Amino acid sequence: MFRRAPVHATLIDVERPLEPLWRGVVVYRVLTLVTVIGVSAFHMTDYASPAGAGLVLAGMTAWTAVLARGYLGEAFEARRGPLALADLVVSAGIMLTTPLIVTDAQLDASAPGMGSIWTSGAVLACAVAYRIPGGVAAAAVISAALVVAKARATLTELNDIQILMLAGLTVGFASLVLRRAAERVRRAVAEEAAAAERERLARAVHDGVLQVLAHVGRRGAELGGAAAKLGALAGEQEVALRTLLTSGNAQVDAEGRRDLAATLRALASGRVSVSAPAHPVELPAATVAELDAVVRAALANVERHVGADAPAWVLVEELDDAVEISVRDDGPGIPAGRLAEAEEQGRLGVSRSMRGRVGDLGGTLDLDTGPGRGTEWTIRIPVGSGQRRESV
Amino acid sequence: MTVTVMVVDDHPIWREGVARDLGERGLEVVATAPDAGAAVRIAPAVRPQVVLMDLNLGETSGVDAIAGIVEKLPDTRVLVLSASGEHADVLEALKAGATGYLVKSASAEELVDAVRRTAAGVPVFTPGLAGLVLGEYRRLAQRPAGEPAVPALTERETEVLRLVAKGLTAKQIGERLVLSHRTVESHVQNTLRKLQLHNRSQLVRYAIEQGLAND
Repeated sequence: MFRRAPVHATLIDVERPLEPLWRGVVVYRVLTLVTVIGVSAFHMTDYASPAGAGLVLAGMTAWTAVLARGYLGEAFEARRGPLALADLVVSAGIMLTTPLIVTDAQLDASAPGMGSIWTSGAVLACAVAYRIPGGVAAAAVISAALVVAKARATLTELNDIQILMLAGLTVGFASLVLRRAAERVRRAVAEEAAAAERERLARAVHDGVLQVLAHVGRRGAELGGAAAKLGALAGEQEVALRTLLTSGNAQVDAEGRRDLAATLRALASGRVSVSAPAHPVELPAATVAELDAVVRAALANVERHVGADAPAWVLVEELDDAVEISVRDDGPGIPAGRLAEAEEQGRLGVSRSMRGRVGDLGGTLDLDTGPGRGTEWTIRIPVGSGQRRESV
Repeated sequence: MTVTVMVVDDHPIWREGVARDLGERGLEVVATAPDAGAAVRIAPAVRPQVVLMDLNLGETSGVDAIAGIVEKLPDTRVLVLSASGEHADVLEALKAGATGYLVKSASAEELVDAVRRTAAGVPVFTPGLAGLVLGEYRRLAQRPAGEPAVPALTERETEVLRLVAKGLTAKQIGERLVLSHRTVESHVQNTLRKLQLHNRSQLVRYAIEQGLAND
């Protein structure tokens, strides 16, 4: 039977994002080893010490095997950083055998020193392990070893140094980008898992607990007396639990924005009604936090001055160039002049702190109050075209 | 005349509780259904005046059931009785043809009153619902130009809807705007009707685009 195998491969392995780079380093090392052995064989008869050259090449081969063991697979994953540093030391050491093996005449004729391009692999390894600083520092070490070993700094050497620096920078940057991308993917996956779990819980709770709580709330209210109090408690818990289950929408997203509608909906209770659009009203998270605080202050004020059970209504509206929030109650209204009076007496009234917060956001706070009208605070925050993201 | 009601909810305790509450207060519960499929099958047989519809019906959606019922029974009104926290669903339900929305925490008296008003053709608007409808009109207005005409609210309708969203009763709104409460209710009804018409025309347009309307 034909069955499609599940696909697990993604562009970036989230847990081990640098694996492709490490594999590349090993491949590079093996290919350059073969090249260096070939070039050295060509120069072998002219070397001051062909036996020494053979010994160094054997050492390079053995070290390449060690690196392959360390850089591939999971066995030594945690020790790759120190291994890359050891690699740097070994590579520089191999370069420093040059004066013992390669004659001055050979060097003058542009023959490579010992190790040659194979040693640049150490720069790549350090760049993968320690990003841009690692790559650049390792390039500096290998460049110094190059100049010391060959005891000259002609255009050829300067050219090599330039390429080493460039390689260190580029691979270091690639390492940085891969890590960041993996971190982002990991976070997105975690968020999705959390959302899926919340949804699963929400379904389970909806089918059981919430229904029973809502039912108890209703029956309690009908029975009256002590049962009514129990019913009211059950009703409050129902709203609280439901809000908890749906409050995932009020999280700050990757761009530092937060849904004002979902945030303020969390304030809904038996006495507070929150009206808002069905789509997210996204604003910078800091702005949303301030607005949340202002609305809470206004609601606390209703509770203090109108009554603990006094109903209040919050309306969130997206206008063309502003977001407007209204907090209203049906109380007796605030007598004219009382707010100003409170401020004059040095009592930092609600209005002062609310006005301060709204002012800091570049918005305005208006008060509409009077006997038979209740009290309505209107908070208006201008929203530039760059601030609001169109919801699709 | 007794108002006939069908109760659609996936939870048996709740379904039976609501049916009994309505029955005790002089309404006639002619049927109950646990999911969208059953609701659409049963409704044409019993032809209730009002369908009391939960939106979260286990694996099925109340919104689909509303569309099915409204299509088969144009005289039947649908009142959504749902939990808070299902804002997008409530909006979809309204666009599909529901004429009111009540939260499950409402008392039995409020529920019976809402059912009677729904049967009489008066929309049942909570402040939360008004906020959703206002938001939807704003969203439609922000759509890029070039799209076929989207419905818009008149200034008066916007004013009325905002006051509903701020918790004022039809009577309070009437006093503030110097209107009769019937006029207020008809403004509210209009905002809903325009949204439903737009939804239907969009569905038809979609069907034509997809070549479904050729047969």
